[in-house]
Amino acid sequence: MEYLIGIQGPDFVLVAADNIAASSIIQMKHDYDKMFKLSEKILLLCVGEAGDTVQFAEYIQKNVQLYKMRNGYELSPAAAANFTRKNLADYLRSRTPYHVNLLLAGFDDADGPGLYYIDHLSALAKAPFAAHGYGAFLTLSILDRYYKPDLNQEEAVELLKKCVEELNKRFILNLPSFTVRLIDKEGIHDLDRLPLAK
Amino acid sequence: MHWPVCQGVIMYLAVVRLSCLWVAEIRLVEFRPAINLENKKERKKLLLPVPGRHIAVRQRVCFRLYTPGFFPWSSLTLDRMLSAQMWGEQGRMKEYHYTGPVEHRFSPYSFNGGTVLAVAGEDFAIVASDTRLSEGYSIHSRDSPKCYKLTDTTVIGCSGFHGDCLTLTKIIDARLKMYKHSNNKTMTSRAIAAMLSTVLYGRRFFPYYVYNIIGGLDEEGRGAVYSFDPVGSYQRDTYKAGGSASAMLQPLLDNQIGFKNMENVQHLPLSQEKAVQLVKDVFISAAERDVYTGDALKLCIITKEGIKEETVPLRKD
Amino acid sequence: MALASVLYGERAGFPNPSERSFGFGYGLNQAELGFGSTAGDGLNFAVKASLSTDNQDGPEKKIEFLHGTTTLAFKFQHGVIVAVDSRATAGSYIASQTVKKVIEINPYLLGTMAGGAADCSFWERLLARQCRVYELRNKERISVAAASKLLANMVYQYKGMGLSMGTMVCGWDKKGPGLYYVDSEGQRVCGDQFAVGSGSMYAYGVLDSGLRPDLTVEEACDLGRRAIYQATYRDAYSGGTVNLYHVHSEGWSRVSQEDVLSLHHQYQEESA
Repeated sequence: MEYLIGIQGPDFVLVAADNIAASSIIQMKHDYDKMFKLSEKILLLCVGEAGDTVQFAEYIQKNVQLYKMRNGYELSPAAAANFTRKNLADYLRSRTPYHVNLLLAGFDDADGPGLYYIDHLSALAKAPFAAHGYGAFLTLSILDRYYKPDLNQEEAVELLKKCVEELNKRFILNLPSFTVRLIDKEGIHDLDRLPLAK
Repeated sequence: MHWPVCQGVIMYLAVVRLSCLWVAEIRLVEFRPAINLENKKERKKLLLPVPGRHIAVRQRVCFRLYTPGFFPWSSLTLDRMLSAQMWGEQGRMKEYHYTGPVEHRFSPYSFNGGTVLAVAGEDFAIVASDTRLSEGYSIHSRDSPKCYKLTDTTVIGCSGFHGDCLTLTKIIDARLKMYKHSNNKTMTSRAIAAMLSTVLYGRRFFPYYVYNIIGGLDEEGRGAVYSFDPVGSYQRDTYKAGGSASAMLQPLLDNQIGFKNMENVQHLPLSQEKAVQLVKDVFISAAERDVYTGDALKLCIITKEGIKEETVPLRKD
Repeated sequence: MALASVLYGERAGFPNPSERSFGFGYGLNQAELGFGSTAGDGLNFAVKASLSTDNQDGPEKKIEFLHGTTTLAFKFQHGVIVAVDSRATAGSYIASQTVKKVIEINPYLLGTMAGGAADCSFWERLLARQCRVYELRNKERISVAAASKLLANMVYQYKGMGLSMGTMVCGWDKKGPGLYYVDSEGQRVCGDQFAVGSGSMYAYGVLDSGLRPDLTVEEACDLGRRAIYQATYRDAYSGGTVNLYHVHSEGWSRVSQEDVLSLHHQYQEESA
């Protein structure tokens, strides 16, 4: 039902998430933000089982912030992704696993942009683009077809629009709007929600 | 969409020897095929003469494996699907098809029947129960009242699983003594109700299988009834029936005490004599129609003078 | 203290979670273990099985559809309106028509009850205590956001063990009106209008079609009442009376309690 997507460019990462909070067959909220700010330049996108998502994402968020307070410097996106994966993996073998699917996007001054795909079985993969949810089946092929490693911000937004248009055309469930954010060397920027009002 | 479900028709019983070690008793407990009951031919196949009364969807076969060192309670039930849908208790639809074997574990619960009833008046309360203790087909005791005196102004009626009833009433008694020792006063009915709620909820994940109704006098001396579910949800009522015949007693009380859905009736306050007579009458009626209610009726009439007990014989069959 | 040792087990809180297989899905629904299943089954071989909790352990148990209730709450320009029905069901038997499904946590916080009655009342009672402790420690009232998060965190610890609770925490704090949906899955979302329970779809329909930004208090009360009434009309598991509360800057106040039957006559007359 839920949908997350991330597209990495040469000097930025573009991410988007749907805005629906659902309970059984009812959409309870239409402006729900599924992104969690881990640090100035890292975003965690989280979907999955109700309850687990917020609990897990906030747990990671608070620990990443604690790390900065203790050590005086922030975790890099790669470190944050591995930290997240390790926690998820440990909980997977516990009595109370978290059923969450994640995208972690960030910008590191040394390594440049980074996009990480993490699923509920704690698989971690660095990817130029990634998507979660049923919508991923429809849109990964679009990304495969049109993605260029050197695409600029405008092209990335256009690619994202292509994906959202495809969802609106083919996906059975109604996902009326998406939060879009962009991370570059300046930090996290809010972009206009998709689809743009006509 | 609601389907009437035919309950427990034994169609077939056989004992099959599989090998020298394994003896399986195959028992078709319920036969619930999905057939078109409008069709006379199909109906005949099922040997169901009455149209429209049986329709269903599940066939359940019990396998009981007898092996050396076998535990009597580990019988296996195989639920086999005959049609597209499975219905759970109360006709609720099961979400997806589960066709594998289900192991029936030993159950620490039983249902011993019995009915309790409490009525509150202006300056009195009545708690009543039958005295039958039964399990399945058998009647274990004809003299097992389910009212337990807690304080001079409070009586509790417990029905459900008798083991849990006993445990629970003993725990309440102990808690009342503790309270008396530490506070030098007895608990009010309201306090007992609040305490019982937390005691019951303390076993939320392994509940006491008991339906409780507390009857007593409140701080102002008025009659009070508190009814509970097995995990501690409670509310104050003026009359409430609980246990096996509760669904028979409650509508009668709604009519006679609550004057529900009646127009142009005078809402007379309930006198003690009328209440006692009413309680006796509803129990006599319940004993007529409920197999788990009968033998005798025990009434506890709580007034500021104390608790008066009364026993009335009921049907013993 | 011999007595204390008798009671020790009682006070130790919840037993080992490994015993959770005995947990039932729904509080009030437990009557189905008793009268319903025993009286119906003519023959007792199967009855033993249905008396145990095995049926509940099946795939069916996982369905957490909050049933037997319609509750709703919505924000408007003068605060929050909370409207609920009052029916409690045990299977198909109406266990009570006079349940108070609005739980008064304190003079400026309300909770609603859907799902297991005992679960809702117990955890919201505990929340009331937590809120009072917060007040004493911090010398200020707890915000609706914080209160709802306390509740969500408490029940999240018991996730998957069979708690069943869908509640709306409504109140007024420094930020103005507050409305959060919290359930036993641990989900907690802020919103402007919610409906919870088996009749919630019907209530949503009436609510969404009648909601305007410029509602007066009276119009908002009528809307809430009407939405619950329409839900009780369509949903067999909702009914009894409609209880209505209004949360405003001075806390909550109780607006009305009306029998669905009298509402029915009233609406019939109006439409005639």
